[in-house]
Amino acid sequence: MFPFSARRSSWFTRLKLPAPDTALAVHRRQLTTSVAEGGTQDAASYCSDLVRKRDYESFLISHFWPRELREHFIALRAFYVELASVQEAVSNITIGKMRMQFWRDALKGIADGRPPRHPIAAALARASQAANLPTYHLKRIIDARDAELDTPTHMTLDSLTSHAESTSSTFLYLQLSLLSLSASTALSHAASHLGVAQGITTLLRALPYHASQGRMVIPAEITARHGVSQEEVFRRGGQAKGIDDAVFDFATAANVNLETCTQILRSEGRVPGRAKAAFLNAVPTRLYLKRLEAANFDAFDPTLQVRGWQLPWRVWSSYYRGQF
Amino acid sequence: MSLLRALVTAGPSARVVATRVAAPRTSALLACRLISTSPCRHAVDPHAKRSEPHDYLPELIEPRSPGIKTAMYTAADEPGTDFDPYKDGPSAIDKAVHLFFFTEIIRGMWIVMEQFFRPPYTIMYPFEKGPLSPRFRGEHALRRYPSGEERCIACKLCEAICPAQAITIESEARLDGSRRTTRYDIDMTKCIYCGFCQEACPVDAIVETQNQEFSTETREELMYNKEKLLSNGDAAEAEIAANLQADHVYR
Repeated sequence: MFPFSARRSSWFTRLKLPAPDTALAVHRRQLTTSVAEGGTQDAASYCSDLVRKRDYESFLISHFWPRELREHFIALRAFYVELASVQEAVSNITIGKMRMQFWRDALKGIADGRPPRHPIAAALARASQAANLPTYHLKRIIDARDAELDTPTHMTLDSLTSHAESTSSTFLYLQLSLLSLSASTALSHAASHLGVAQGITTLLRALPYHASQGRMVIPAEITARHGVSQEEVFRRGGQAKGIDDAVFDFATAANVNLETCTQILRSEGRVPGRAKAAFLNAVPTRLYLKRLEAANFDAFDPTLQVRGWQLPWRVWSSYYRGQF
Repeated sequence: MSLLRALVTAGPSARVVATRVAAPRTSALLACRLISTSPCRHAVDPHAKRSEPHDYLPELIEPRSPGIKTAMYTAADEPGTDFDPYKDGPSAIDKAVHLFFFTEIIRGMWIVMEQFFRPPYTIMYPFEKGPLSPRFRGEHALRRYPSGEERCIACKLCEAICPAQAITIESEARLDGSRRTTRYDIDMTKCIYCGFCQEACPVDAIVETQNQEFSTETREELMYNKEKLLSNGDAAEAEIAANLQADHVYR
């Protein structure tokens, strides 16, 4: 930040332009401090940096959270992202299990008021202090990720659904309890369906990546129904026979869950203002499914890999319209 | 009865019988053969009771040998000689010329000429360097947070996973309650560069940088301590951060 601002001011003096006013300078400093700091002293900026890099959708959504809760949402999301990326970061199961154990111990430490000196753990400790987050939700996510290390692929849609429920749905329950809305059964029910839709969509979006690693994320039940040969998918990608149909089936499962979620919310009448922030998670999911449909269910289409330009606008507009 | 039959029909082969009939003066060789191949059958009294066990076959067995007829074959009788597989092909000289002299040399020289006009593959190593994968695992480094705080929290996962047992950690609790390492040693002569320490680290503190040029003159210089590792991290921080980036969550 300092070299940048120094160079900037020298530019201004050399070109004889009016120096930037103080308000602008302060604003710039605020933007850059999040990069310059970090560590356990400034855990919030570390988490927000991580979420911005690894999960841009959630970073966009975080701006619509109530100001006092935004930091906690980011902390939770950073925790979720950290756990989700363990499997890609390790080359064998034992190391992954060790890292899961680290997080289990971290949760124990947070409960005892002695979080480890990890920025995400520190942020999580603050969040659970502020909102009295139920530890069993956090623990459930860790357990599900741990089980995923052993069985990265699923045979049936049911087992995948239950896995998505214990990861992304549980993350939504955590958001609801952060907003102190966990007492509402209807909202929790809607969140469970949204979580499943989100989980499936994430897998679909990452299908080319997983195929390149020699993993088939679509449950064997669906691929077998359409006679898809895994080996062919790994080698030929979108040209493999029947993969479009399998992707269509899989995306339909996501869409059904998403529609159920919106039905429940609609039957509930007006979504309470605070709950909007949690259900904004439906927007990226819906947008991806629409783009997948436009690409004729070819999950390997390169246009699906880039971040949609409509996303910030959609998130903003559905927040103000209260429709997901 | 069976003994008699064996003597009459099969005992000595037909040729032997014929020889004996034709030449009454038995040669020493034939006598030898008869003794070695068959018991002395003509001396056997069929009615006498024998006490010693039989050591010949009681029943007739057809001989496996092709018989006397094959002994009369000549070279002209060899099968398959009426067909010449090399009749329509090139002669041996033609093939030798083709293989060793003209075309091969010309083809080889053509490749040489192609390479002559191409830019050389050689890299002038200390001055030019080849590309390295972002996942390249070279010299180790300990990272800090941008605020200057050490990342390492002395959880000892790297020490536990290290298959070569090259890492040694000692830690103590500081006054502010944080655990920090007082000693973080890596024996670079033991390290097998498997990258497990990097994968196991929950805070991304220990990493393997892209640096592969850290040869030393003495063995002692390869026993890295914490200061050396931290200074490595400070030197390569920008590079490490760029290599660690991932695009989005895949799960």
